[in-house]
Amino acid sequence: MNLVEVTNLSKSYGVMKAVDDFNLTAIKGEILALVGPDGAGKTSIFRAICGLITLDSGEIKVSGFNVATEFDRIKPHLGYMPQSFSLYPDLSVEENLYFYAGLFGLNRAQFQEKKKRLYEFSGLGQFYDRRAGALSGGMKQKLALSCALIHDPQVLMLDEPTTGVDPLSRRQFWDILKDLRRGGSGIVVSTPYMDEVALSDRAIFIFGGRKLAEGTPAELAGIFRGKAYRVAVDPTFNCMEQLCRIDGLQARRFGSTVHIYTKENDALENYYPALAEIGIKPEIITPIQPELEDTFIQLMGK
Amino acid sequence: MWSTIKALIIKELRQSLRDPMMIRLIFVMPIIQLFVLGYAINTDVKDIYTVVYDFDRSEMSREYVRSLSAGNYFNIRPVEFPVLNIDHGFRENDYTAALIIPNDFSNDMNRKKQPVVGLMVDGSNANSAAIALGYAGLITGQFNQRATGLSSPLILRQKKLYNPEAESVYFMIPGLITIMLTMITILLTSMAIVREREIGTLEQLMVTPIKKHELLLGKTIPFAIIGFMEMTVGLIIGLLWFKIPFVGSPILFYILAFIFQITALGIGIFISTISKTQQQAMFYGWFFTIFGIMTSGLFTPIENMPILIQRLTYLNPLRYFIKIIRAIMMKGATLQNLYPETAALIIFGLVIFSFAWMRFSKRVE
Repeated sequence: MNLVEVTNLSKSYGVMKAVDDFNLTAIKGEILALVGPDGAGKTSIFRAICGLITLDSGEIKVSGFNVATEFDRIKPHLGYMPQSFSLYPDLSVEENLYFYAGLFGLNRAQFQEKKKRLYEFSGLGQFYDRRAGALSGGMKQKLALSCALIHDPQVLMLDEPTTGVDPLSRRQFWDILKDLRRGGSGIVVSTPYMDEVALSDRAIFIFGGRKLAEGTPAELAGIFRGKAYRVAVDPTFNCMEQLCRIDGLQARRFGSTVHIYTKENDALENYYPALAEIGIKPEIITPIQPELEDTFIQLMGK
Repeated sequence: MWSTIKALIIKELRQSLRDPMMIRLIFVMPIIQLFVLGYAINTDVKDIYTVVYDFDRSEMSREYVRSLSAGNYFNIRPVEFPVLNIDHGFRENDYTAALIIPNDFSNDMNRKKQPVVGLMVDGSNANSAAIALGYAGLITGQFNQRATGLSSPLILRQKKLYNPEAESVYFMIPGLITIMLTMITILLTSMAIVREREIGTLEQLMVTPIKKHELLLGKTIPFAIIGFMEMTVGLIIGLLWFKIPFVGSPILFYILAFIFQITALGIGIFISTISKTQQQAMFYGWFFTIFGIMTSGLFTPIENMPILIQRLTYLNPLRYFIKIIRAIMMKGATLQNLYPETAALIIFGLVIFSFAWMRFSKRVE
């Protein structure tokens, strides 16, 4: 069964189109990653699935129920972890859990049992009486995840759970997600980090509210067309501007260097004169294996 | 339903009673308020510093001055300035009243001609000036009677009931308790709801199976409890420290206080729907409370207000509750005595609370 089904979702804020005719399907036992930069529309999609905003058009079903009309029936199946930390900073770890347990109607025995399991995977047990506001970034995210899991939801919606979290904690967090997936949950997670695509089962590239591509990590890696090169040049504003003016080439700042992409059946040699004009000699250009980020950028340019 | 509400109540109480700032706001501040205001707002006028210019210097004039100083009202002080510079002492606040006895005072008295004495009072404090003039008039009348042996055909004997000493503390403390109850209920309710929105937990709550009415009850019951705790603290201080009387039924008092609280809770919820931040909620809370207090008849009698404002005070729930709390504590009023006020409070509670509820439901969606 499809746990989440989003069909033709559109949502605008004034003249700004946040989500444009978006489709998504999440299934049991799978981690689906929504990947895109800030402002790509990820959070709007999440909030729409969690019934927090009204849709301009389209339909969303969670566990077979319509979000717009049957949201109360969805709630017991849905776990939502918003982008910003939204637990009670002045309550302790255990009190936060206890509160959410109460909201979902767990009794004391159920809570004790659930708590034990959540502490086991999160390692939060040793901090049970620490105030949530005093936890580290990674621990906060684990607590938020624990709270979202208190009622064993079928669908777990995690909006950028690893943003601003240190690499080690990110890794741990993903390990937890993989365990949960084995338990049969369907997980939808959004992230701005391209490297997390490889950890997911399926990913959707999203930009400007539209879906750029969808597939398994391997499929997405194979989308890139043409060739990619690294140019060892300082990516100053001036340089980037001149590069972008060259017709047929795509250029993107990449850390302290620049990546350029040629189209399919095109050769870099055709651009040597144009590149030489702006001071880029062939010696500083090296071919590279395109990464997912290169793929994303190429798709963005289309 | 109850497990959800219980979870919310426990959470709210934990949050409120843990935060040291909240503890200060809930318990310490009102106690200070009670002690400072209980003593500071003293409308009793005693020891009016008075200078006497006695140009008569007769036995009769000295007798008159003695009778003025007999009570605790006028504190007669030696003259420091020549009569032409009498202003100076007023401006320096050396005295607030000056009595001038002309030199033909005793002569006129003896010849049964009406003598005239002058009393100047510093009117910059209109309240105490009026009271000083009242005292002086009374004392002069009594002096007249004794000196001339004539009694006026009508003698007014005044007796103050319920608060015979006219102690302003008796009158202030019930009012201060009302302020505490109102302020804490309005502020805590509105701030607690806005805080959820501020830190984003309200959104998280909307994804849990909690119903709107459960959320609302869970957000109001804890502050109703805290408000009652605070009112009780105020009451205990009032009874034990200020020794104010409590003649009426405490049960009736608490029931009516609860009805009044529904209004305060409603205002708190309403404020939460028009505030984006806790600061905003606090300012609105203060605004409502101050406005309510000023037109409640607590500090200034409603009868002294302009007619238009007097009519407006009928829209102020505090007005009714202050009347109720004073009547129960000092006069032992029963429910039968307080029907109109109770009815008014019930109407206010229903209207304001349901209006707030509607706005809240809309806002949450």
